[in-house]
Amino acid sequence: MSNLLKKDWFGLGLVIILGSILISFFKPAFISPFNLYVLMLSVSLMLVVAMSQMIIIAIGQMNLSVGAIGGLVAISFTGLMEVYSMSILPAMLIGLLIGLACGFINGYITVKTGISAFIITLATLYIFKGMNLGITEAQPFYEIPDAVKFFGNAKILGPIPYLVIIPIVITILMWILMNRTSLGRYMLAYGNNVQSSELIGISSTKIVIYAHVISGLLAAIGGMLVVCRLQLGTPNIGDSWLLPSFAAPVIGGAILAGGKVDVIATAFGVILVSIISQALVIFKIDPFFVQIFLGFMILLAVFINRYREYREERRTKVFSYE
Amino acid sequence: MNFKIPNFVKTNQFGLLCLVIFFICIFSFSTDGFTSRFNIYALSRVVALDIMIGLAMMVVILTGGLNLSLGALGVSAAMFGGWCMESMGIPIPISIILVLAFGSFLGWINGFVTVRTGVHSFIVTLATMSIYFGFMTLLTEAEAFRKLPEIFTDFGSLKLFNKYISPLLIISVLTCFILYYVFKFTDIGRKLIAAGANPDAAELSGISVDRMFIYCHMLSGFLAALAGIMLTARIGAAIPSMAGHLGFDWLLPAFLAPVLGGTLLSGGKVTVFGTMLGAILVTLINNGLYLIDVGEFWVRFFLGMILLGAVLLDRAREYFTVKNSIVS
Repeated sequence: MSNLLKKDWFGLGLVIILGSILISFFKPAFISPFNLYVLMLSVSLMLVVAMSQMIIIAIGQMNLSVGAIGGLVAISFTGLMEVYSMSILPAMLIGLLIGLACGFINGYITVKTGISAFIITLATLYIFKGMNLGITEAQPFYEIPDAVKFFGNAKILGPIPYLVIIPIVITILMWILMNRTSLGRYMLAYGNNVQSSELIGISSTKIVIYAHVISGLLAAIGGMLVVCRLQLGTPNIGDSWLLPSFAAPVIGGAILAGGKVDVIATAFGVILVSIISQALVIFKIDPFFVQIFLGFMILLAVFINRYREYREERRTKVFSYE
Repeated sequence: MNFKIPNFVKTNQFGLLCLVIFFICIFSFSTDGFTSRFNIYALSRVVALDIMIGLAMMVVILTGGLNLSLGALGVSAAMFGGWCMESMGIPIPISIILVLAFGSFLGWINGFVTVRTGVHSFIVTLATMSIYFGFMTLLTEAEAFRKLPEIFTDFGSLKLFNKYISPLLIISVLTCFILYYVFKFTDIGRKLIAAGANPDAAELSGISVDRMFIYCHMLSGFLAALAGIMLTARIGAAIPSMAGHLGFDWLLPAFLAPVLGGTLLSGGKVTVFGTMLGAILVTLINNGLYLIDVGEFWVRFFLGMILLGAVLLDRAREYFTVKNSIVS
């Protein structure tokens, strides 16, 4: 039990359950099938985006271009199907390849030049977004095959949409990657201390490029999922991803200096943010409050993490005196 | 070979100056309108703002941090100014002082939270960005202030020096000189740099690093508020969306100018005039790209490419100077 309490995701889970009970007590509409459906859709889209950012946070960097990659892939995916009348599978593969290439560019330049990933991904953010606007001239693609539309709208069972399958699989794979594979552990080691990880023989080139490639792939999947959901490919997909992509991992207790991420806690962070946004809508609160709220939640999470660290420090000090 | 290259040539500023001259030559030869009086005036109005935004970011980069809330902060301050002047009827000079104080206060919040939690300012300002922008939109109900005093808006469209230069540019250049003086010759300026360069050493030599970091964030808020006022004067109205959603339109120029200017992202180094040159270069290229007619949608792409190219070039320059100094 005491072990459980120390986990990042335990407190979050408690908040989610208590919060949901409280909200549905005041507004029973919160647990209506339709609301649950909307909630699950928003969770599944944000989950992929959050994972895409989380893996970069794990190696102690940041990726500002997540949204730009998602947008570029989204419009390429729909553009290939509409303009070149390609079938879904090859279009999807090319979309994934674009995401992979974008991530590779980010990782390669970052690790080869030693320039902060912040600056590199800021530059590539504008490059990818500029390509997106240059190609589409800010016009959306509307002609989406029915199979894609079906995947974005249909439900498996009750309120559960098909769209949740991929994000759940990705979350499980990410958990395995971060906790059960040497690559994931190397990434955390690299994020924790670059010098010592290099000294024990971890290739920083490999780690950084792998992390950015995975981030690019996840952003690509996120972009295509949004296309399924919206039933069209607009150039502004991904524009609003930046804040939520950092919010969930930070609320989930990831330390931005790198070396510590928790996949389950990040997923819970996504759920918490979605529930709160949804609750604010149900209570008919101005949508702009949602944004303010998200900002305050990040600050609150930061304070709580800081407080826990402080307590931990004090406890270890007491022990060392004994 | 005892030929000695002057130190100035090795600096980043010199490279930037060459680039600026190079692009001016290219654009004046390849386009008709570039050297026209109208275009130079338009350039001076845009450059003025970009310099100010760049400086606002530079003083936070000095601490090794970032200020993502810059645009949101600037717009919030500008809207506050619009409210003071239009709704409250407060005289212009007092309004401006109030706006600058308000901007500094918002900057203080950023600095205070960053210092107290020890969290990277990226996350703190990411949060405050959406808080400031959200509150601003709620309070103004996304309505613009369009009936500002005429003296104020006339100032923004004033033309000086044979109608070539906007007075806004003079404010920016003046700010550059003041900041240069502060960082170079005053006690507090040196302390700010010391705190950014090596916090531990600065703390041991009796500088309160926390306080210095808060000062940097306050200065950033002050400059962003000033940029907000300048933009309001330029447009002639205070509009909530004038820096884009969440103030994102300011972010690229804000990072481009100091980074091109040679400010280290790890902190501890400022280049006021480098930032100025960086801002000039970005505005030049932006303006030239529109005149060459690459299509407005590709401009972003090229700006991103230029940022990438510039940081790579700077890296190469550093590499070669280090190699040369080892050889000699």
